[in-house]
Amino acid sequence: MSHFLSMGGYARFLWPAYGVTALAVVLNIIWARGLLRRAKSEARRRIAMQGETR
Amino acid sequence: MSDRLTPPLTAARLVVSRDLLLAFRRPEQLVHPLAFFVMVTTLFPLSVSPERAQLRAIAPGVLWVAALLAALLALDFLFRDDAQDGTLEQYALSGQSLTWLLLGKTAAHWLLTGLPLSLMAPLMGYTLGVPMSAGAGIMVTVALGSLALSFIGSIGAALTLGVRRGGVLLSILILPLAVPILIFGSRATELAIRGETYLAPMELLASVVVLSFTLAPLAAAAAVRISLE
Amino acid sequence: MTWTWFHRLGSPPYIYRLAGILTPWFGWLAGVLLVGALYDGLVIAPPDYQQGDGFRIMYVHVPTAWLSLMIYTWMAVAAAVGLIWRIKVAHAVAAACAPIGASFTAVALLTGMLFGKPMWGTYWVWDPRLTSELLLLFLYLGYMGLRSSFDDLQRADRASAVLAIVGVVNVPIVHFSVVWWNSLHQGSSLSLTGKDTIATPMLIPLLLSMLGFTLYFVAVLLVRLRGEVLRRERAASWVAEVVAT
Repeated sequence: MSHFLSMGGYARFLWPAYGVTALAVVLNIIWARGLLRRAKSEARRRIAMQGETR
Repeated sequence: MSDRLTPPLTAARLVVSRDLLLAFRRPEQLVHPLAFFVMVTTLFPLSVSPERAQLRAIAPGVLWVAALLAALLALDFLFRDDAQDGTLEQYALSGQSLTWLLLGKTAAHWLLTGLPLSLMAPLMGYTLGVPMSAGAGIMVTVALGSLALSFIGSIGAALTLGVRRGGVLLSILILPLAVPILIFGSRATELAIRGETYLAPMELLASVVVLSFTLAPLAAAAAVRISLE
Repeated sequence: MTWTWFHRLGSPPYIYRLAGILTPWFGWLAGVLLVGALYDGLVIAPPDYQQGDGFRIMYVHVPTAWLSLMIYTWMAVAAAVGLIWRIKVAHAVAAACAPIGASFTAVALLTGMLFGKPMWGTYWVWDPRLTSELLLLFLYLGYMGLRSSFDDLQRADRASAVLAIVGVVNVPIVHFSVVWWNSLHQGSSLSLTGKDTIATPMLIPLLLSMLGFTLYFVAVLLVRLRGEVLRRERAASWVAEVVAT
């Protein structure tokens, strides 16, 4: 297990590399879903406004 | 039955002479990029070191960065006046090939900005410790590089027409595309300064020039049409 | 004729529904592949003869670099399709690609730096591949910057499309830079023939990782695409039915 964590001495390069990749993977998912969610709520709001003026 | 539409090359030549004529009526506009080039180049001996050997080492880079920045500044007035007074729109509607007309405009722009820059460059090189014997080499390399820059820059200028603070955006857009010119150009200039043969990077630079003046007007024409919509 | 599927893809409500259906498939498959690649790459694959355990950075660096190029290509193709055939959905695809591509280009550069330091002794060198990859990042950012500078969405679409197409010339430059110039960056590690082939137990996690990241990109793209389509089609009637649920 300690060998796994130390990665043969390359730990201080390898783990940040994997870390920044994982961060990008997660952030992109969050960003994309946020975009979709905001687009949906925007559309709902516009439809509701249109409904009120009718 | 003769074709009553002017042949594209003639139209392009007419655009060139028109732009040159208009420019000479307002010569102050042409001085700005040149003055900028001189001032930026002068900043380096003042901020880095007045020692000639050190300056000569950084001279190619300094000359090219200053030339690039001055060219970016000059791109501002490539389309500005014609866009404002509706001439650009007339070009697009004229039935002439917009590509050829823009080729003419950009060529004229280079004659007014890039060519003077390349004539000034050996002088600024001298202030950076470069021997006057390298003058011809500097002139040729900067002339070619600025030509490519004018054409590639025309795409960016067309894309950012009428955008607020378009000048900054233009620089950001053009920089990645201008880097190969910068790299080949300064390499060629460096070899010219050292008195060695600079044929290899010059050929690369020349091929970039050919690519840019054949393809860039096409892209610029598309971009102008989009901007005028 | 076979053009009907092409035209259907251009229909926003169709694309919205299709993307919604496909996303979980791509997403879960990507997840499985990436977890498998992670375990395989970090635990199962043996250490390299020369590079020890450090080579495992390749399992994130190569796929993200591949993504950075592939995404830009898709962006440019979609932009061209949108420009030439005036298909709005194509422009939406291009817009959706850009942030994903930009972030993975940054990751590719960072992981490359973290690989370069222990292996070649330096975080950065101005060789053709690294420089052109950095330029790729600038192109992505310029594309996104140009888009945001227009209030009119149609003009933003079309102007940024021109930029994307012009900038695509950088993609082959990045790819072939190690062939054309002598550089610090190692040559192709994925040739299937010849003496530079990579050992199979080390190759498998790399392939899994590349496939996994590609499917992941499609999944994220589909989600973004739905958001983009909704934003552009706000006023359309089909939107009301879709968002009421």
